[in-house]
Amino acid sequence: MNREARRAVSREYFSQERLAEHHFRSFNNFLDRGMQRVVDEKETIETDIGDKEGQEPVYVELGDVRMTTPRVREADGSEELLYPQEARLRNITYAAPVFMEMKIIRGGEEEPETVVDQTETKVGRMPIMVGSNKCNISGFSDEELVEIGEDPVDPGGYFIVNGSERVLMTSEDLAPNKILAEYDSKYGDEIQVAKTFSQRRGYRALVLCERNREGLLEVSFPSVSGSVDFVTLVRALGLESDEEIVHRVSDDPEIVKFMLENLEEASVQTEEEAIETLGERVASGQGKNYQLKRANYVIDRYLLPHLHEEGVEEEDVRINKAYYLCRMAEACFELALDRRESDDKDHYANKRLKVSGDLMTDLFRTALNKLARDVKYQLERANMRNRQLTVNTVVRSDVLTERLEHPIATGNWVGGRSGVSQLVDRTDYMGVLSHLRRLRSPLSRSQPHFEARDLHATQWGRICPSETPEGPNCGLVKNFAQAMELSQNVEDEQGLKRELASMGVEGIPGIEGVDRASADD
Amino acid sequence: MATSTTVCPECDGRIRADGDEAVCSECGLVVAEDRIDRGPEWRSFADDDRDPRRTGAPLTRSRHDRGLSTEIGHTRVKGRKRRQWARMRRQHTRARMSSKRDRNKVYGFTEIRRLVSAAGLPDSLRDQACSLFESAQEADLLCGRSLEGFAAAAVYVACRVAGVSRTRSELVADAKADANELRAAFDAMNRELGLPVGPIDPAEYLPRFATELGLDATVERAAREYLDVARDEGLTNGRNPCGVAAACLYAAARDDGADCTQAAAADVADVTPVTLRSSYVELRDR
Repeated sequence: MNREARRAVSREYFSQERLAEHHFRSFNNFLDRGMQRVVDEKETIETDIGDKEGQEPVYVELGDVRMTTPRVREADGSEELLYPQEARLRNITYAAPVFMEMKIIRGGEEEPETVVDQTETKVGRMPIMVGSNKCNISGFSDEELVEIGEDPVDPGGYFIVNGSERVLMTSEDLAPNKILAEYDSKYGDEIQVAKTFSQRRGYRALVLCERNREGLLEVSFPSVSGSVDFVTLVRALGLESDEEIVHRVSDDPEIVKFMLENLEEASVQTEEEAIETLGERVASGQGKNYQLKRANYVIDRYLLPHLHEEGVEEEDVRINKAYYLCRMAEACFELALDRRESDDKDHYANKRLKVSGDLMTDLFRTALNKLARDVKYQLERANMRNRQLTVNTVVRSDVLTERLEHPIATGNWVGGRSGVSQLVDRTDYMGVLSHLRRLRSPLSRSQPHFEARDLHATQWGRICPSETPEGPNCGLVKNFAQAMELSQNVEDEQGLKRELASMGVEGIPGIEGVDRASADD
Repeated sequence: MATSTTVCPECDGRIRADGDEAVCSECGLVVAEDRIDRGPEWRSFADDDRDPRRTGAPLTRSRHDRGLSTEIGHTRVKGRKRRQWARMRRQHTRARMSSKRDRNKVYGFTEIRRLVSAAGLPDSLRDQACSLFESAQEADLLCGRSLEGFAAAAVYVACRVAGVSRTRSELVADAKADANELRAAFDAMNRELGLPVGPIDPAEYLPRFATELGLDATVERAAREYLDVARDEGLTNGRNPCGVAAACLYAAARDDGADCTQAAAADVADVTPVTLRSSYVELRDR
């Protein structure tokens, strides 16, 4: 390419729409689909009404969410469109009202279910990113922007809360739902560990599979203290026979030898026995029935949650979890046999970026849960005082608003992270541009982390090799390269799986016409 | 900044907060000044330079304990200690509301918060409503009347005192209380507490009704002029302020050629078209 053409391409990449494009795409995606998805996950709000004799249970069904563009409600009750500049000058929040369809339903035990009340009600206000689809100035021409007092070259991509401009820092996390094999040391011995951060709907669970110095495999996951024998766990998941377990892990003769050692040491032989053993671990000292119940609950709830999927049978999910654990076991053995090297955590293929939309999803999820708890309390209270149950009188719109605005205003995000939102650097125009394209590693800046700070070869073309602060944050705070393109999650996962199945991938759960026996091979 | 009045003492102009001063937007008189910066601390006083806060949140009237409460935290601990903390936390929450009176106060305040947020009113008004509720409780007015009614009445009064009146029906639409409970509570408060509420100026309703009818600022301004005329002519005396406000808006909208029927205007103001028409006819004849 000649110099002129290169310049043209370069200029395109640096055009105004592209500077904060990753923020817009992510946030618009959150507004268009993410919010509704979070509400659909929640689905209903259950109450304790109906626990007593002679009372019919009451629950709330959540429907469609809808939002308008930002507007301000004055004390005198008038409401008008709000533009970013007015929000900045008046020290108010650039936020749009959010409405939700709600249905209070009573009955179900003896009487048929009846809808007590159904309306669309205002549940709170959502801060809106300047320049996003729901922003009042999106699609304005330069003249129109000047007319209402906006800066036509302002890149947008930040929020305005109480008059101050806050940008959500993109954060760089380890890729979830991926097996990472690495060495670790325990009591002075080198052991091999396969790790997976399993993530589904905001719930994150670390599953560890380690090969201890005797060569035995142990798995640990949340809600179980210590670790469980690999063989016990796989048997509890429904993978019973010795032969099948070995075959699922590997056909490599040396790995088979390792596996046979494990099977020899196995304390249980059948699925029932395995679940009983697990029950004793998760609920020791409790009744037998409760132990079994608890063991099944733990398996289905806390072990590898990312393998759950809508419309897939619980049994299929369990066997898939077993297969997944076998993959982790194989990774451990291969590492032990020097068949592979340990995974590189700093490799960019093992990283995922959390952009504003993802962060807002986390926030909206906890805010909605808080709102649901409040609605439950208000409903129970209203019922106790024999009031008419109406949607309008049980929803407190300040609950959600507060939960959404406060973290953006202070930077203290859900999950204990701080400094997530920062005041936009307005030192000069370049400062703003750099700030919007900055990303942060969650690693502590007070520890060395030499490898994490180093420039990694895979950052080529993605991360700027030279722009990083001096001092404690060196190499932990990075900036996007000019021509960086941020790819997004696959929206239609079912479609992707169907495509993969048509290309010959076998054993994908929930897809018709595939051979179950060879799943996950 | 706490300014007791909302109009300029010299020229009756609107007062606007400008930095640390309250300034009249008409004549520029500085009504109040407050040199204390209530924003966040500028530097950090602790050893770690991360968190510059030295104190907790300010005291507020809108909490039953003025926001000066203690909570047992959720630091991660294990086993026996965790269970012990959970028990302590439960006892603590029980002890926090020691009497029935406190419990009622908490319930009333929650309802006030809900109403205030539903109506989109400022926080200062919420605090005022809460302290009104508290004084009603201290004057033993609550016995035999409903808590919800008092919560709604407190918000209603706070709005009227601040000069941003809401109609009773507007409040009842959001409130847990019904119209009778609201009236009983308001009457009791008005009788016993000597509330500083005079007749409602119909101008307070204009901006809200105009928004609900979808009329723009020019129409609203014209309506305000009509209202001034009506006030000078004594038309507002003895009339429902809602009806007068709606009539002025209707008249202004008609002049402007905006789409607004008598029925729609009357509906927004929650009066009958007949009430509106009587004011309107009088207004037109002057």
